[in-house]
Amino acid sequence: MSTFKEIYNYREMLKSNVKKDIRGKYKGSVLGILWSFLNPLLQVIVYWIIFPYLFRGATIPNYLCYLVTGIIPWNFFTNVVNLGTISIKSNAGIIKKVYFPREVLLISQVLSGLVNFFISCVIIVLFCIGTGAGVSVHILWLPLIALIQAAFSFGIILFLSAFEVYVQDVEYIVSFILNMAFYGTPILYSLELFKSAGTLYRLVSLNPLTKIINAYRDIFLYHVTPDLHSLLIVAILALILILIGYRVFKKLEKGFAEVL
Amino acid sequence: MNPQNAIEVRNMSKQFKIEYDRGNTLKEKLIRRRNKTEYHQVLKNINLDIKKGETVALIGTNGSGKSTLLKLMTKIIFPNEGTIETDGKLTSLLELGAGFHPDFTGRENIYFNASIFGLSRKEIEKRLPDIIAFAELGEFIDNPVRTYSSGMYMRLAFSVAINVDADILLIDEILAVGDQHFQEKCYSKLRQLRDSGKTIVIVTHSLDVVKDMCHRAIWIYKGQVQLDGDPAYVIDEYLKQIAKDNKEEIKKAIESGEQQKQGVVFIDVPKDYMEFYPEDREVECQGWGIANVDDATLHFYVDDEEIHPEVTHRERKDVYEVYFEQYSGFLDVDQLGWRISIPMRSLSKGNHTLRVENHEPDGSVLGEKDVVFIVR
Repeated sequence: MSTFKEIYNYREMLKSNVKKDIRGKYKGSVLGILWSFLNPLLQVIVYWIIFPYLFRGATIPNYLCYLVTGIIPWNFFTNVVNLGTISIKSNAGIIKKVYFPREVLLISQVLSGLVNFFISCVIIVLFCIGTGAGVSVHILWLPLIALIQAAFSFGIILFLSAFEVYVQDVEYIVSFILNMAFYGTPILYSLELFKSAGTLYRLVSLNPLTKIINAYRDIFLYHVTPDLHSLLIVAILALILILIGYRVFKKLEKGFAEVL
Repeated sequence: MNPQNAIEVRNMSKQFKIEYDRGNTLKEKLIRRRNKTEYHQVLKNINLDIKKGETVALIGTNGSGKSTLLKLMTKIIFPNEGTIETDGKLTSLLELGAGFHPDFTGRENIYFNASIFGLSRKEIEKRLPDIIAFAELGEFIDNPVRTYSSGMYMRLAFSVAINVDADILLIDEILAVGDQHFQEKCYSKLRQLRDSGKTIVIVTHSLDVVKDMCHRAIWIYKGQVQLDGDPAYVIDEYLKQIAKDNKEEIKKAIESGEQQKQGVVFIDVPKDYMEFYPEDREVECQGWGIANVDDATLHFYVDDEEIHPEVTHRERKDVYEVYFEQYSGFLDVDQLGWRISIPMRSLSKGNHTLRVENHEPDGSVLGEKDVVFIVR
């Protein structure tokens, strides 16, 4: 309880960190915040052009929209995990000098990811309309799914950011695993393709990100209620990660100022 | 915790791990499993109560552990043994400008910086006029911080920190900010905070500030509380200890050959080519001499012939202050000056040379000085 109160006391720090992240990131660049739209957009276009040639199975209806609804949530996830992992290390300056609840740094990383994602959802909607998929009331599920994803990412970076302070290989291992996971999640392809490959199919479908991205596609592309059962599993997983991760983080946090 | 105390330290010890070439990568961690780990005991069994409303200075030489103690109070680092408890909102001014972002304006950075201290938007807005006025930045407040001079940057940072309005303020040697005018302003602000009943803990080397501002001084010596009480007395004892330590250090350095034995001799009177007349009866001479050995003696020569006049010693505060750092431990302020008189009848007409030398017992010369005077 006191933890919540303390974090609440530092809410202005959360806000200003998010503001700094979002506005500070693109200061000095001509297009500014447009880059957070442009980047995923260009990525999508590259995949959209290349993959139909590589994939026999890229016969997914409305492949363009299928890509957009996969890549933008995926970017949200990788950004939070990559930046979250190094967020303690890269704030060594203030960690060594000022007291504040250290988890504020992680929470603000998740929040700025979340804000960025919501802005990017405009692109998803534009694509849905542009490609004829349309928009339906199912979009109201969006905040819930995004929240579960945010909680899941938060749980992960609680561990990773604390380990990173002590062993700096973590960030490289993380970026490698994220690269692998990109292909272990049905972003470019459809899970149906793996139906025949027993173990691989099961692994990919167990991936929590698969469930999350499926949910996004359900609400944006297919206009159905997402699979609440799967979402609940991910939510519980996220909760467990946060509970254990928080303990680990609190334990390791005492050494931050000395090790950094 | 006693409700009258703002900070309570109990049986607290802190040691730092010293790892030579600490490995930060997995490979290094796996291969070289704790081969050379030493522990450096920074603080040993500290017990302290700091009462609410007290202004306390932590003094001590570099490396004595006073800054570490302050960091422990801030809860940036944690003790290995014992406890530290604090009561009340605590702000540390260990680092100025933490969280400043160069691309944002001064005004925006006030928000960022103050938010790190745990202030809410409302609280910041309430203090904003004070902060801006105190920083004396004028219209620059709306320019990006990267365009600031370092002085402006520090002024802004200090204004934010000092206006945070905590119950307990921890300050680490940061008052050397800006020009004379701004420093004085900072001190008067601190005095104002002190008088308004805040608890303030300062780490500083400027002992005048301690005497002037603090109710109490705590002297940390080699990781332990050596003395705790009225600033004037604690500072005096502290200076004595510094003198003693310095003396031992110099002795060691001399033994190991790192430092030369040396001394300085000075003759104030007579000045070069000063004239005396037979009716003066005596030639009054005075000056001072110092050396970094214990048993140096002064020897006087007139025209290369040693004389043995009666020497009276006098107090020389001016000399003491100048050489305190370099020779501390070897100086007795009451014995620095010397005065002799040479009877006129022993001097013939013409030019004479007075030479004063500082000798070691074995006769080697540490310092010398001569003047020429004329008897008409």
